[in-house]
Formats: sequence, structure tokens, C-alpha cells
Amino acid sequence: MSSRLMVALGLCLLFGSTAHAAAEREPYNDRYCTTCHGSEGGGNEGIQAPRLAGMEAAYLRRQLENFRAGIRGTHPQDIEGIAMRPMAVKLTDASIDDIVVWVGGWPYVPAAPTISGDVAAGQRLYSNCASCHGENAEGLPSFNAPALAGQNDWYLVTQLRDFMAGYRGTHPQDIFGAQMRTMATTLGDDSGIMNVVSYINTLGR
Amino acid sequence: MSKSVTRREFLNLLAAAGGTAAALNAGTALGLLPGSAAAASLDLLQLGATRKQVAILGGGLSGLTTAYELSKFGYECTVLEASHRCGGRILTLRHGDLIDEIGNRQYCEFDAEPHMYFNAGAARIPSSHRNMLHLCKELGVELEVFINENKMAWVQDDNLLGGKRIRNIEYTTHARGFMAEVMSKGMTASEMDAPFSEAEAETLMGMIRSFGDLTMDNVYRGSFRAGYAEGGFLEHGVQQDIIAFRDLLRTNMGRMLLGANEGDTGPILLQPVNGMDMTIKALEQRLAGKVRHRAMVTAVQVHDKGVDINYDQDGSSHSLQADYCFNCIPTHLMVGIKHNFPADYVSAMKYPRRGEAYKAAFQAKERFWEQEDIYGGISWMNNPSGQIWYPNHGIHKAKGVVLGAYDYGGGMYHTVMTHEERVEAHLHDGEKLHANYRNLVEKPVTVGWHRMNHMLGCSARWERTRGGWSHAEEQMYHTLQAPVNGRHYCIGDQMSMHSAWQESAVMSAQWAIAELDKRVRAELA
Repeated sequence: MSSRLMVALGLCLLFGSTAHAAAEREPYNDRYCTTCHGSEGGGNEGIQAPRLAGMEAAYLRRQLENFRAGIRGTHPQDIEGIAMRPMAVKLTDASIDDIVVWVGGWPYVPAAPTISGDVAAGQRLYSNCASCHGENAEGLPSFNAPALAGQNDWYLVTQLRDFMAGYRGTHPQDIFGAQMRTMATTLGDDSGIMNVVSYINTLGR
Repeated sequence: MSKSVTRREFLNLLAAAGGTAAALNAGTALGLLPGSAAAASLDLLQLGATRKQVAILGGGLSGLTTAYELSKFGYECTVLEASHRCGGRILTLRHGDLIDEIGNRQYCEFDAEPHMYFNAGAARIPSSHRNMLHLCKELGVELEVFINENKMAWVQDDNLLGGKRIRNIEYTTHARGFMAEVMSKGMTASEMDAPFSEAEAETLMGMIRSFGDLTMDNVYRGSFRAGYAEGGFLEHGVQQDIIAFRDLLRTNMGRMLLGANEGDTGPILLQPVNGMDMTIKALEQRLAGKVRHRAMVTAVQVHDKGVDINYDQDGSSHSLQADYCFNCIPTHLMVGIKHNFPADYVSAMKYPRRGEAYKAAFQAKERFWEQEDIYGGISWMNNPSGQIWYPNHGIHKAKGVVLGAYDYGGGMYHTVMTHEERVEAHLHDGEKLHANYRNLVEKPVTVGWHRMNHMLGCSARWERTRGGWSHAEEQMYHTLQAPVNGRHYCIGDQMSMHSAWQESAVMSAQWAIAELDKRVRAELA
């Protein structure tokens, strides 16, 4: 924790005093995350911005890079992704490093459930998910699959809908997104989405 | 095919409108409705030796007004503002100012002169907004008239006259002429059973003729009101050609043009001299030492005896214990901050939609509009940029700042573009009004309020449907207006039924302050 903090402080100083100072007349850096994603990245339903606290560093980095490259957040129906993308476009590699370290310092607190569905039906559907995301939705880095347990359920619903409709995971360079899109279609319809997310809500982490 | 309106229905509509106006006039005469008199100052209980700490979350107009008013009565106030600046959606852009739009951080490069500014948010104070005007007066903020409607400004629609621009006064004069002719025909038709006495009918006919500048035989033959084609001073004026009614109906813009100075923009409009944020500067001056900038609230915990607040500033966490808390953080952001609010309160906070208004401006290298007889006011375009506003301050100076786009309804059309795409869109649209526009303007600023840091939206939208507030919406509004434990008050124009006006922000603060005063009086009695 302390070494993390030291790195964060070091990067903060770097940005605050050198990298941005020349171009910026106001002392500003790219740490905008909490405006939308809430205090300590806990997620904000009011902005439909998911929790970042507890997100795997590799997954967070990949998504920021995908947003920046236009692999994610460019489909005209991906409303929330379109909102995220302009921020990511401005990020330098150093800014992404800084953000990943900063986010890594936030405490993980599971999000409160907000939706309900048929948990038993959801459990059956989840068997398809478990091979990549883990039995307890804890995420499996070896499969590049993030944790689902503890994430905002409304966000999981939105993303599953987007994968199913092709708003996410259809960009030719979105390799893992394409895998996910194939799996999302096995959920059948919106009730399948609500059921599987309701089941994920029961899993601890 | 749309349903045609019979003469009878048309006249019924007229009669209905006349009835409403008559009723309102009677109300003012009897003193039932507020006229233009100034509002009174708040009369709160002076605390004397009693100490009360107040935390104000957000340095927008409602927050600063609260701190200013309560400080007068002995409350110890601290304002926490997340941004580098106070004012929220009262944003005046001048040379060197940062526009902190997420993903589109810009600096304003206008020339450093007092009249070279752009009110990127609030821009007009109607003379009927008594509480806002009272605040300006008390703060010594100098005001000047703001010109909103200017009949000399332009109207342009690709569908109208092959896209040729015409003066607002041409459109409205001809439209009124033809409308009056239709009305007069309705009045004189023999099959109509008269709803008026003869004297009333003659009075009405006089009004109709005057409304449309009809000849005495009730025909519209054009009007000098539309301006002279030539002459008019040393020689007889030559009348402008009439534009056929059919042609006028090729654009939908008549709705806006004939209603531009109605409702909130009906009264005389005012603006502070040197920028809308002069009120904010005056408030901050009076609150010296009480406002903390770049102080981002991270937690709000309401207890029986007070409110505990955590915030980040200068890279570290701080806490603040207060007896009372006034909160103008946009509710859609507040729900993402740690809190212990009741469930129904949180549901209400999540409900309002985020406003999407969008504005852009350019520095004009010369005041080209003045060479076209335009001094202030708004030109209307039937394209996404929508409007061009000409400043009525800095008349005859070398340069000025023009508003190059204003989308007050939607706004996402431009918001989702990059800064460069937005600017190109406004140049393209503006060229239809001013042929050399692209070369006449420079140094653009674009502001997508949906993405402005620490706000993430323009005014709160409580109504989900156009039919007005639903019962459920009103209930949620009242839930959020009521203080939590008598300690935590939501304020801001979001806590009004008429958001997007500074008057709403000031009145929301006054409402909450009056509630607090009642409680404190009861407690200290």
C-alpha cells in the first residue's frame, strides 16, 4: 500500500510540476475519474458510470487503451461508451499509468444490488460464464476476464445488452469483446440478462 | 394530411387567448400577482452568541447566496467547491480562462479587453426575476440592458427563398400581415354568429388591422414596417417586396420568431456590465476566506446533531463537522458520493435527467454585424448551430465576441463531436448568414454542458414527458426539497420547478434558509 502511494505521489508530482505545467495555465492533470465514477471510484448510477475500485489493473488499462484507440465507445448506440471516450482520447501512456495506480489505491466495496430476477435460472445460465469469469465471478486473469461480483448490477445489465445487440464487442480489434459477444448471445433475451445478473449479485468476493 | 382548422375553431382559439390575457391583467391591477417591485431582504434570527457551523457544498449561485445570507446573521459558513472556480453554470469566459470540459479542456484566447467576454452559461436576467435583481442591487453589481430580440437580425432557412437570409422584421411583418388578413376575413364572414357586440367587433378589427398593418379594406399589401428597400429620409421610402405567405410557410421558424420575446424573455432583459459572473465575484469577495476551491466532497453523513463531510483537497483528505449542510452538488453527481441519505431521498436524487445545453462562441475580428445595421440581438438559423448572438456591449469598438451556436433543447448533436468538428460545423452554419463568416471570426470556445467537469449536465430536467409534471415527479421533488433530519438541504436551480434560471437558484436558497430559520428559532426559543 505504502509503495503504491509513493508511486502515485511521484507521478502526481511529475504531472503537477513538469509534464503539464508548460501547456497548462491552471494546475490540472487527467485525474477526472471520480467526477463520473463517484468517490473512490465506487460507481455512480446517476451518470451510469461503473465502479472502478477493485477493478483489475490489466482490465482497467486495456479498457482505457481500447477507448483511446476507438475499439470501444465508438458505436453510435453505445451511449455511455461515447460519453467515456473523449476523456480516454486525451490520455497519454503516462496518464494511463497514473490512473491505473491511483485507482488501485481505492478500497474495494461491493456495490449494492439494485435489480431482481430469477436467481435459480440465472445460476444455470451462469455455468457458461464461469469458465472465463470464475465460479464465484471473481475474474480469471489467465482468461483476461474481469471480476463480475461486486460490480454495479445496472452496469452489468447495460454491458450484456450492448454485447448482445452488437454495440460492444463488434470492433474488429476487440478480440476479447468478440468472445464476450458470442457468450452474451447465449443468454437469449433480456430476462436471461436480468436472471444471470441477479445470480451474480449473490456471489461474494 | 393534417386536419384543417375551421374559421370557427380559429376564432375560438383567439377568444381563448384573449380571455387568459384579460384575466392576468386584472390580477396585476388588483395586486394579486407580483409586479416589477423589488424583493425584500431576508429577515432571519440573528444568532448573537450562539455558534452554528454551516457547510455549503458547491459554490454555484445558490451555494454562495446561502453562505452570504447566513453569514449576515452570524452563521459560520464554509463553502466547498470542487472546481478551480466558483459559479457553476454562471460562466463568463475571458482571456486565459480554463474551460474544464471533460475530454475537451480548452483555454479562452479572446483578446484581453473588458468587453471581450462570453457568457457561456446564464446570459439573461429578466426584469421580473426580482430576487436575482435584488441580489445584484445589494451586491452593487452594475447592470445594463441585454438586447434579446432584434428585428434587424437575420433569419435563414435553406427551405425559405432558396436559403437567402432575410431580416427578422421582414418575416414577422409579412407573417403578421397575412395572419391578420385571415383573422379579418373570419370576422366579416356573414355566416358567423357574432360572439362580440358591434363596438367590440370594431375594436377587435382595429387591433387586427394594426397587428398586421392591413389597409382599411382589410387586405395586406405589404408594409413599411419591414423596412425600406431604398430611400425613406431625403426621398420617399420604397416599400420592400412582399414575400408570399406560402413562401413564409416553407420554414417552421415562425413559431420561434413570433414568440421570441414571450415568457421569461418577455420582460426587459438585463446583464451585469463586464460579464454574468460579476455577481459571483461580488459574492466571493464578501465571503473572503470562507470558500475552498478544488475541494471535492467525498462523503456526507447526516446525524441527529449535524452533518459530517469529508473532502479531498491538495491531494489529501479533510473533514468538516457542521450543524447544517446546504448542498447544491448536482443530484446525479451526489448519488455517486458516499452518503447515508434515506432511500426515497436517493431515489428522487437519481430521477432528474441531465440537461444537454450546448454553447459556442468566436472572437470576431471586426464588428461585421454593425455594418449590417445590427446592434445586439439574435439571428435565427434553421440548422444545428441555431442562433448567432451579437453583443450589445462594446458597441463600435474594434472587436466583439459572438455566440456562434446555442442548442438549448438537445445539445448532444454538437457535444459528441470533437472541438474541431464543432467549430467547423458552426463556421459552415454561420456562413449561411454572413458570407465571409469563416474569415471574420477566430479563437473559438465550445462548451458542452453535459460534459463540464463537476457538473456533468445543464439544468435538471424533472419532467420526463412534455405534458407537465406527473404526480410522482412532484412527490419526488417535495421529498428532495424537505431537509434530512432538519440538517441537510438540497438547493440549486435543480430544486425548483423552473430550472435553468438564476432566479430559481436564488429562490431555492431562500426557501431552504427560511426553513432553517424556523427550526433555529424554535430551538433557541
